[in-house]
Amino acid sequence: MNELNKKISEAQLFIENNISEKPEIGLILGSGLGVLGDKAEKQNIIEYANIPNFPVSTIEGHKGRFIFGEISGRKVAIMQGRFHYYEGYDMKEVVFPVWVMRSLGIDKLIVTNAAGGINTYYKPGDLMLIKDHINFMGKNPLIGPNLSSMGTRFPDMSNAYSNRLRDLIKKISYKLNISIREGVYASMTGPAYETPAEIKMLRIMGADAVGMSTVPEVIAANHAGMEIAGISCITNMAAGVLDKPLSHDEVIRTADEVKDKFIKLVISIISEI
Amino acid sequence: MRYTDRINSAYEYISKILPCKPQIGIVLGTGLGNLADHIENKVIIDYSSMPDFPVSTVEGHAGRFIFGDLEGKKVLVMQGRFHYYEGYSMKEVTLPIRVMRKLGIGMLILSNACGGLNKAFSAGDIMIIKDHINLIGDNPLIGENLSEFGPRFPDMSQTYDHELIELCKKVASKLNIKVHEGVYTAVSGPNYETKAELNMLIIAGSDAVGMSTVPEAIVARHCGMRILGLSCITDMAIPDTLVPLSHEEVVRVAEMAKPKFVSLVKEFIKEVNIDESL
Repeated sequence: MNELNKKISEAQLFIENNISEKPEIGLILGSGLGVLGDKAEKQNIIEYANIPNFPVSTIEGHKGRFIFGEISGRKVAIMQGRFHYYEGYDMKEVVFPVWVMRSLGIDKLIVTNAAGGINTYYKPGDLMLIKDHINFMGKNPLIGPNLSSMGTRFPDMSNAYSNRLRDLIKKISYKLNISIREGVYASMTGPAYETPAEIKMLRIMGADAVGMSTVPEVIAANHAGMEIAGISCITNMAAGVLDKPLSHDEVIRTADEVKDKFIKLVISIISEI
Repeated sequence: MRYTDRINSAYEYISKILPCKPQIGIVLGTGLGNLADHIENKVIIDYSSMPDFPVSTVEGHAGRFIFGDLEGKKVLVMQGRFHYYEGYSMKEVTLPIRVMRKLGIGMLILSNACGGLNKAFSAGDIMIIKDHINLIGDNPLIGENLSEFGPRFPDMSQTYDHELIELCKKVASKLNIKVHEGVYTAVSGPNYETKAELNMLIIAGSDAVGMSTVPEAIVARHCGMRILGLSCITDMAIPDTLVPLSHEEVVRVAEMAKPKFVSLVKEFIKEVNIDESL
């Protein structure tokens, strides 16, 4: 068994020894959206710091722990805090938790993030269902020997964001009267926010929103055969759209304002998935 | 050795040598190094003499700091910079910028030689950088944030200072030097771009393409410096009319453009007000 497989197994075993029931749905919570984790019942919290081989989250607004528990009667594993490439982790560390979740038997993953709106029809506070992504990070978590325990050397990405889940989420949002956009998420490394020229380029390339996460995790999860849904919270308009500077405070503030509808939507998704 | 220790050790070394605080930092691009000839009361510090400092390898770059007086201002000029394509990490490429910041410099002039992608440009023209696109595939701020320099997520919506751009345009028109304004895209190099890549860059909104400046601008913005960016268009990189390009040709055109580049920068420095609060 290679070194990486061994590390994943050690983390998996540690978690299995600390939870009573196997989770079926994984959830990764983005900047300012971590509060959804508190809605889980029968919580069993495992700090990343205690899990063997796990990196530790450093960014403000991210807690850095797994919450195992139940939402709408479904067994969930919630990541409160994720690992970002801009923090200095390598791509394999960024997606390590995804591999661990897969090893725990999770085959459905809901990824969320705070993103900047590129599409000028969007406004801060909107939710966007990710229909596809563009990897603009210049790196890919699958580079290196293929982790054949997870998937194939050349994974197809033509349906990375499950059509089935997207249809389901659209139906649910309609039912809940929560309007949701559907668009393409482009990931950049950050941590500097993009320049207006970069945003214009991304718009020309077909991106509707931009952020600094999600894409590596989705590449790894798709490789590992997980069914994926992605939701972006448009927390600010990207550089150059409005004549004002961007700030992390604004991101956190907007995320806080939309958290109620976000929570309502995600809870419904989990119950119907 | 920790990165911050490298910054501090370079800073301490230079600050002991300099007679007073520099006001403006200038990074000279390929072939533009002779601006330094106009500096008076020079103090020269070779990069190679500095502890824990990278050493420049590319032809046409001298590899030294020159401190002195230029048009009544105290300037610290980098003759020779560090390029990502030489194999330096992004942190090494931008280390001198942080050293300049620690020395108290609040204003930075970044210059480069680059290829023109806008059909309105010709070889030998000067372009004021109004914005950039980072296509190097790396970012110098990745890793732990150095919060003594700036925030975790720096805004980049006005990387190149509007007031400095306006002043530079005014000065150019006074001197009767034609300048363009445009978007500079940085790629890693060291190979020049293919026609297909150049086409893509044009579609993406680039007016010029080069292999430097952007990492330095990102780090300078992160630590709150005001930036003026000047590109010398040393060759036209329009895909339909592209001819094989040599580094010698780039250096030759930069030589030709040098006199107007030098007079533009000198006049700009003369006119600009130093904001001592930075």
